[in-house]
Amino acid sequence: MRDDRGHWYLLTGFVIGIVLGLVYAWLIAPQERPDTSPASLQPEFKDQFRAMIASAFVATGDLTRAEARLKYLGDSDITRVLSEQAQRTLGEGNSPLEAQALGLLAVALGQGDSAVISTPITSTTPDENQATINPGQATSTPPPVESPAVDFPTDTGLIPTPTNQESPETNAVLSTATPLPTRTPTATPGSPFVLQSNTFVCDPDLPNPLIQVIAENASGAPLPDQEITISWDGGDDFFFTGLKPDIGLGYADFLMEPGVVYEVRMAAGGQSVPDITPAECETESGSRYWGTWLLVFSRP
Amino acid sequence: MLILIIGIGVGLVYGWVINPVKYVDTTPAKLRSDYQTDYILMVAEAFQAEGDLDLAARRLAVLGDSPPAEIVRQGMIYAAQINYADSDQELLSQLASALQTWVPASGGIQP
Repeated sequence: MRDDRGHWYLLTGFVIGIVLGLVYAWLIAPQERPDTSPASLQPEFKDQFRAMIASAFVATGDLTRAEARLKYLGDSDITRVLSEQAQRTLGEGNSPLEAQALGLLAVALGQGDSAVISTPITSTTPDENQATINPGQATSTPPPVESPAVDFPTDTGLIPTPTNQESPETNAVLSTATPLPTRTPTATPGSPFVLQSNTFVCDPDLPNPLIQVIAENASGAPLPDQEITISWDGGDDFFFTGLKPDIGLGYADFLMEPGVVYEVRMAAGGQSVPDITPAECETESGSRYWGTWLLVFSRP
Repeated sequence: MLILIIGIGVGLVYGWVINPVKYVDTTPAKLRSDYQTDYILMVAEAFQAEGDLDLAARRLAVLGDSPPAEIVRQGMIYAAQINYADSDQELLSQLASALQTWVPASGGIQP
């Protein structure tokens, strides 16, 4: 009796074995990995992680650390994601302080190293070396590094946890930088705002009925983190400049409801703008779309 | 039979080691220890400025069912193991101390 199967049965058995092994490893008993990164979190937990980073940033003023932490989340456009979450949080109305922290962090990232929060809590010692902590080397002493810039792998590599100290170079930059306003929205010092212009704009690229507000100082520099109050018959709300840094640090907008008449003013004080209501524009072809009210406030 | 077992072994190695299941949409409780510790440090940093112990406890609650003080204690142990800066360990210690006297139900402070 002769065996005609050749060696194919070996290959078949091997393939079947691999398939069985994969089914067991992937479906029946996948490896438990309680070591995931923040990038794998559910969206709502990512939001919470992001908000926590922002709150810690507002508490410490440590932008380098906040930026490193944000990289954990693997967002492609960190500033944009922060701005969107700030708007979303503000819209939900649950935590305006959290929204403001997110907005402040977005603005600070947009300004880079020149950003600084006015009330840092932790102190730094300029003459100590900055050290990075490598969680993968639990028993090692953090090695000093020359530059405050740290590259963080975003994959499965060892991701350093926060830097211990800011280098003297970083402190020098921060100490000469223009500080951001404080994080308390109603405590903005200075004279009241003056309405510079109130313009109705027809822009087909902005089809929604918006109130756009630009806050700037006397020299025309944008002012982020300025609270704007808006009221209407039966309600009121507030929003902040600087939550859309991609448009402008002094920019903020509010979506109007058709048929409602609004009154807008800067919370820091100054002239209010009444009788703002959605109005329509018309294209040459006769189609209609909502126009936008553009209010420019200036602090003299 | 032997070749079948070898195949299963290869499949297991590939499925568990080379290309394990990638988890998505996880919870903070499943984060790696260093990330959890950094999150706890963030809570401690914010608590230092805000002084809101209830808020700190709520923030820590996403890391699991353990009491907040225990979560911070675990974070302190890990922070010490990997040589967090003294200032950071101090922040963790302050949060842990505050949480030891925190009572979630009544919000009161134990004597």
